[in-house]
Amino acid sequence: MTGEIMTSEIMSPVERPSSGDRGEPLRVLLVEDNAADSELVLRELKRAGFDVTSELVQAAEEFRLILEKFVPDIVLADYNLGQWRGMEALEIIRNKALDIPLILVSGALGEVTAVECIKQGVTDYVLKDSLPRLPVSIRRALREQRLRAQRKQAENELALKVEELARSNRDLEQFAYVASHDLQEPLRMVAMYTQLLAERYRGKLDEQADKYIHYAVDGALRMQTLVQDLLAFSRAGREGTKMSQVDCNLVMRQILKNLEAAIREKNAVIKHDALPTVLANSSQLQQVLQNLVNNAIKFHGSKAPEIEVRAERTEMEWEFFVSDNGIGIAPEHADRIFVIFQRLHTREEYPGNGIGLSICKKIVERHGGRIWAESGAHGGTTFHFTLPALEDKGNPANRGAEQKNPETKDEEQTYEPSGSLVSR
Amino acid sequence: MNPAEVLLVDDNPADLDLARDLLIANEHPRQVSAVTDGEDAVAFLRREGRYTSAQRPDLIILDLNLPRKNGWQVLEEVKSDPKLRSTPVVIFSTSEAPRDIGNCYRLGANSYVRKPGNLQDYMAVIQSIGQFWFQNACLPRREEQ
Amino acid sequence: MKAFDAEILLIEDNQDDLDLTLHALKRENLANNILIARDGEEALDFFFCRGSYAERNFDTPPRLVLLDLKLPKVNGIEVLQQVKSDPRTKSIPVVVLTSSKEELDLVRSYNLGANSYIQKPVNFTEFRQTVKHLGLYWLVVNQPAPQGTCEPAGQES
Repeated sequence: MTGEIMTSEIMSPVERPSSGDRGEPLRVLLVEDNAADSELVLRELKRAGFDVTSELVQAAEEFRLILEKFVPDIVLADYNLGQWRGMEALEIIRNKALDIPLILVSGALGEVTAVECIKQGVTDYVLKDSLPRLPVSIRRALREQRLRAQRKQAENELALKVEELARSNRDLEQFAYVASHDLQEPLRMVAMYTQLLAERYRGKLDEQADKYIHYAVDGALRMQTLVQDLLAFSRAGREGTKMSQVDCNLVMRQILKNLEAAIREKNAVIKHDALPTVLANSSQLQQVLQNLVNNAIKFHGSKAPEIEVRAERTEMEWEFFVSDNGIGIAPEHADRIFVIFQRLHTREEYPGNGIGLSICKKIVERHGGRIWAESGAHGGTTFHFTLPALEDKGNPANRGAEQKNPETKDEEQTYEPSGSLVSR
Repeated sequence: MNPAEVLLVDDNPADLDLARDLLIANEHPRQVSAVTDGEDAVAFLRREGRYTSAQRPDLIILDLNLPRKNGWQVLEEVKSDPKLRSTPVVIFSTSEAPRDIGNCYRLGANSYVRKPGNLQDYMAVIQSIGQFWFQNACLPRREEQ
Repeated sequence: MKAFDAEILLIEDNQDDLDLTLHALKRENLANNILIARDGEEALDFFFCRGSYAERNFDTPPRLVLLDLKLPKVNGIEVLQQVKSDPRTKSIPVVVLTSSKEELDLVRSYNLGANSYIQKPVNFTEFRQTVKHLGLYWLVVNQPAPQGTCEPAGQES
């Protein structure tokens, strides 16, 4: 093992059990200008049961050089070495990005100096007239060093895992996007030509054939919807989130307009308080609120839907509430509803593909918030989601006042890549 | 009104077939020609190569995802050629991407129609294209050569 | 939506033609949000958000403009030329709706970038049919340019 490659990584002797009592000899680097003293030290170590290989250096340059070919488990350095000091050895070790404990072994070292040295990173100090303490000190230093190395390794592994996970997540999203995008075209052909078959040959083949064609058309159309939903879902994660200050009152107004037909059809009553201005991607925020309100209308019970939208300020966040008097969600399903393509009801009971809430979750989390649902025992559901609050608490907009606002200006276009780009 | 001629540019034979069938069934254009890539489209319009005897169309229906030369490149060539420029180009593509649509208009597309994914809408859209461009609109008269 | 944000801009000075067009659009339920400009100058003010349209915004273009060619003050060809040569207004669909039978007007219009060219039918029933198809095509079938895309984004290929 050479010292050359160890410049960027902390060298950890952990793979190489190093304390003398584990078989391999303990590698000791002595920094000492007094040969007799170093003899004493080695003798003391042997007496304590250490199997030692050692190198002895005197000058700073020598120290630097020896580290290139001999990586010690521990450095034992005198404090005062004529032209240089043991503390400089510590510097050199650090510059080489090594993690090797250094114990000062000194004839005389004042309490104050000693404490200062430890503050600067020396592991311990042992006076030459109490050398029997040295093995204890070394064992402790090695143990600590081992723990440090293990922790470091665990941290590195964790960081690697996190990075790996993020990458596979990105890959998966890219895959979902490309797959759903590229599936559309052949699927369109299947859907259209089975429909054409149905139209041109209905009644001209036998009854069975008509039925088979009907199944094929039905399957193709359903798959088209699924693929489009999948595309919408992966789009929610891909699009750049251009953030701007968004007045939720304007967003709400637009939503009420968009849902006008459904509201009228179900006789829904939708109330909302003065809502805050938040930092968000306007069209995505609208998508979240609109999905929640739309769900509240859709999953109504025997009564006409009554829906309330409000927001409360906590320390760091705005918490939004979308409450309804609908059929509610059993607590054991409260988490499942946010998973893509999860449905709690048959298509006949309530139409849909179970995509809306998973998109909401994705968007809210991309904004640094959380989303969850709570249902009362007698039905009725409240969806909660949070968004980070704007810095300025004094902003009157945050108290919900009608404000001069960039109006719909904040609805930037976020462009997605063109089809031709994606498929290449 | 116009016994017109249309050029369909699409690399998907299934799409070409369907569009041609529907256009002819509607009895609007007199003739429907079809090419399957961008370079052929340009050659056809300029009557080059194997298209020396091609009729110049009154309307071009152009897909965007094409081999060799994509739809935008064809569009750009048509709209920067003084001889071809006045021929209306209807883009007929599955793309909904705002950037794709915007680029077409910037390059001078006359219209952008999205290819629907199911037969009924597809038929309605083709019908509407035929009706508007061949029954209602006036198309520049081809100089016969 | 502000009053200026029209879905259809009708540029026409002839009252009879105007009434006829409006009537036909209403019959087809296409007349939700029509704005009328009676001369070329007013039309240009609308397009370029100036004069009495100073508060208008380039980001909210109409879905369809019907343009007569014979107009007071600034003629239709001139309007077309200005609108189609400015990147801010180029993508707005402009359909020339005229009684001109001149082949020259037709070629010129297409060359200047008119999206389409229609000769006003003289027969009322036919006129109504034409307006119906035109409305269906441009307001339902045609995909307008996305709003707020004045900046020329690079072409992808």
